[in-house]
Amino acid sequence: MAQDFRLLLVTPETTLLDQPIHSLRCTLFDGQIGILPGRMPMVGRLGYGELSFESTDGSESRYFVDGGFLQVQGSVISVLTEQAVPVSKLDAAEAEKLLEEALNRTAVGEEQSNTREKDQTRARAMLALAQKK
Amino acid sequence: MAKARAIVKRLKAVKNIRKITRTMELIATARFKKAMDRASEAAAYTKKISELVSDLSQANLEFHHPLLEKHETEKNSVLLVLTSNRGLCGGYNSGVLKAALRRHKELIASGQNVRLEISGKRGISFLKFQGIEPSHTYTHFEDRPTFDEVDDLASRYITEYIEGKIDRLDVAYTEFVSASRQQPAVHSLLPIGALEAAAESPATQKYDYEFLPSAQEILEEIVPTAFKARLFKCFLDAAVSEQIARMVAMKGATENANEMVGSLSAQYNRARQSQITSEILEIIGGAAALE
Repeated sequence: MAQDFRLLLVTPETTLLDQPIHSLRCTLFDGQIGILPGRMPMVGRLGYGELSFESTDGSESRYFVDGGFLQVQGSVISVLTEQAVPVSKLDAAEAEKLLEEALNRTAVGEEQSNTREKDQTRARAMLALAQKK
Repeated sequence: MAKARAIVKRLKAVKNIRKITRTMELIATARFKKAMDRASEAAAYTKKISELVSDLSQANLEFHHPLLEKHETEKNSVLLVLTSNRGLCGGYNSGVLKAALRRHKELIASGQNVRLEISGKRGISFLKFQGIEPSHTYTHFEDRPTFDEVDDLASRYITEYIEGKIDRLDVAYTEFVSASRQQPAVHSLLPIGALEAAAESPATQKYDYEFLPSAQEILEEIVPTAFKARLFKCFLDAAVSEQIARMVAMKGATENANEMVGSLSAQYNRARQSQITSEILEIIGGAAALE
């Protein structure tokens, strides 16, 4: 029942994708996870990194996902994220600039150093993906 | 002749204005449809978030997040006012500003340091006139506020609240209730209080979730996201309401112009007629005098 396996990619502005897929691979907070039809219901926190899925016609699409949540509910996978960019649209130079900025920032206090660290991981993930494309 | 010509001039002016208001009405209608589509698309995200919250609440756990907790003393508060950049939208801006001023006075009366932040040129000039100094002004939120723009604001509020620099955040905006009803409202967004869970219908299937990393950590991560989504919704609501207000105002203006055109042309015809009559009378009088 491959048709029943659906991916919903939702950002605050719009529902980016709503299509049947074969399988999904994405980055959780601690590493990658692969999801095939019949996965047990789960809720997970996403990290910064790649989300790729194989659509029913066998082609693979890849996105950069900016944190968020993953929910598997029966045959529907919902991905809630603040930002999702197709990997082909990523700009390595821009990612590098972001990383540079995050590395050079001075942070005072726990809160700020946390944000800095977060920005660094995010920029690194973006850069890695942009260079791989 | 003088009177008839004056009426013609006015008639022309009214017709020109009618053209403008009619066009503005059409534009507002088109923009309203777009804004409405955006708002309903964004609703999917908010719905999913509250769905997640209700799923998580099944886990029955106690959790704390700095954004949920009230600060012991409320000293510094922020009042964010969302108005439009352009006028000609009826009572839209005045409604919001009235509500905002009322809250501003209340907050000051309770002895707080209130920081005003205003989006929209209309609100900025109004408060300048009132002699109230805003701390931040934004004019870049047009009728298509993007999440990135709102995210900047939201992240700043979150850090300030956690660091204890602000104790409260109020937003004054026009709430979109339905296509025929919008009302100015002031809502407190911080502290969040309680996250509302989606209303559960008994028919929904209960899933036994596996949580990665744990329900608690996911909930803690969801709190700021929910806040951002809420703030974003305020901006979207304001954008939709502005277009509706403009549409309604311009519709009224066009109708009034139509009426005026009718009565002015009646007046003009009468004036012209009486002029002709008096001219004929003069000619007849002149001819009679010559005989």
